[in-house]
Amino acid sequence: MVEKGPKTQSSLPLLEVENLVVEYKGRPPKRAVNGVSFSVQTGQSVGIVGGSGCGKTTIAKTIVGLQTPLSGRILFEGHDLFSKDDKNRNNSYREIQMVFQDTLGALNPRMRIGSVLAEVLKFHRRKEFTDKAQINIKVLELLDMVELTPDLATRFPHEISGGQRQRVGIARALAVKPRLLIADEPVSALDVAVQAQMLKMLHRLLERTGLTMIFIAHDLAVVRNLCDHAIVMDSGIIVEQGDPRELFSNPAAEFTRALVAAVPDVSRSLEAFKGPDKSDQCRR
Amino acid sequence: MWSRTVDFIKSLPLNARISIVVILIYSLAALWAEITAFGYKLRDETPAYNAVNVEQCYQPPLSRVAMPDGSTRIALMGTDNLGRDVFSRLLQGARLAFHVGIVTSLIAVPFGALLGLLAGYFGGRVDSICTWLAATVAAIPALLLILAVSLVVGKGLLGVYVGISVTTWVGIYRTVRAETLKHRGLGYVQAARTLGYGKVRIILRHILPNVLHVIIIAFSTRFPAAVGTEVFMGFLGIGVQNEPSWGVMINNARVRLWQGVWWEGTFVTLALFALVLSFNQLGDALRDRLDPSRAG
Repeated sequence: MVEKGPKTQSSLPLLEVENLVVEYKGRPPKRAVNGVSFSVQTGQSVGIVGGSGCGKTTIAKTIVGLQTPLSGRILFEGHDLFSKDDKNRNNSYREIQMVFQDTLGALNPRMRIGSVLAEVLKFHRRKEFTDKAQINIKVLELLDMVELTPDLATRFPHEISGGQRQRVGIARALAVKPRLLIADEPVSALDVAVQAQMLKMLHRLLERTGLTMIFIAHDLAVVRNLCDHAIVMDSGIIVEQGDPRELFSNPAAEFTRALVAAVPDVSRSLEAFKGPDKSDQCRR
Repeated sequence: MWSRTVDFIKSLPLNARISIVVILIYSLAALWAEITAFGYKLRDETPAYNAVNVEQCYQPPLSRVAMPDGSTRIALMGTDNLGRDVFSRLLQGARLAFHVGIVTSLIAVPFGALLGLLAGYFGGRVDSICTWLAATVAAIPALLLILAVSLVVGKGLLGVYVGISVTTWVGIYRTVRAETLKHRGLGYVQAARTLGYGKVRIILRHILPNVLHVIIIAFSTRFPAAVGTEVFMGFLGIGVQNEPSWGVMINNARVRLWQGVWWEGTFVTLALFALVLSFNQLGDALRDRLDPSRAG
């Protein structure tokens, strides 16, 4: 189990992003993130919202080390993740884990779910889990934590549903016992009903474990109920940030207003859609 | 594991399953030939397939042949110009073909696959160096290289082994590199990197199982190609010496073919034909089944 961390606001933020600039190679190079600064306190859950291509995934990839920044710093507990002489660098990476948007792609197609989780435990927590029985118990515990049944452990990724795969992705990230979890659009690839379940599950998980999370979404409504703090991005820069409920009800920036307006009002659209006209069916 | 293999073979088309049976028969024949040849070597005797029996030369298939010790034997596929039994020489030829196929595959496939994995995963300078090496080797004509090697190390199997191995890893390298490049960008490899796994673990535990099908397919096409080259080298006389390679036998049969001594050439050619055809059929079926880009 991930131990419940204290939800205190210490003076030193867990993660600090300072003036981050990330470019993708090309002619001309594409600047995906253009001078972004924000900080995440321990126990906080921060939402990053923005349209496609606004740089939110690039920020996530840079924080976990899949992408190198052009300039700027990322401090994890005060350690610069990209300074070459910092010996804590590798440890810091392990304490930051990521959940990916593409649920099928993120799991090795030739590995059973149980082995995916067991590999993480064997690799990162060798001292805690010395024999197979302990690892098996922990694997089942992890599955239970993301509200999955134990029988899934013997399945391959293509044999389970997208929602289940995403839960496995979360369990895999949690198996490392991270301090910071980055969820990159974890619900975007799922249908609406499964989205709701997933968000509820994440909410319970955060409550129970006190985990710090960065939640990336293109939809402000998803972030509204889950996060303490929301950052709205557009073409590589932060346009607005603050309390998500506040942003939702009272958007200041033009872009945020457009995002709020784009959120579909489910109840209204359901009313408008009353199903096919009966007389139409008879005529056919 | 076993039941999955059996299920997989059952799911293959009929021609592929026949090919597997044919290849198995050849393997058993080659194994049998290996054992008998080793037995002769151990007892330090002239092997029966090399024993000259000039009085009984050019006997047609299924004829009764008198042996030097007074006994008689049925020559299933006839005898050659020195009265040696074609069938037992044919089996020995299968042994040599498998030697070359297996040895060159064991050198070329792991080497090409390893370089392909490294070049595909690391990219950049590693990729440049590997690709340069592959392009350089690919520019060398395989037959000329084998000739050059045999000039240095002398005629025999060593030159064939080295020549074929050095030239065939390039094809395997290219396919494995391309496949690795594709997988490197996929989510599961990125996830493995985020989890802090080492490069060796990512390459061997995560990428390799996912590109293994390419390697298997490459093996199934390399093997018959290597056998063909060995036969050709034997035919030219720079391959194996004093052993009944199929190439040597075809060259032998050539001399009296126009006088109606058809059996040696015919049976050897058929044996080679069936083996290469089986491998190609199996390779095609494996490609259809294992290559995701051709599925559907």
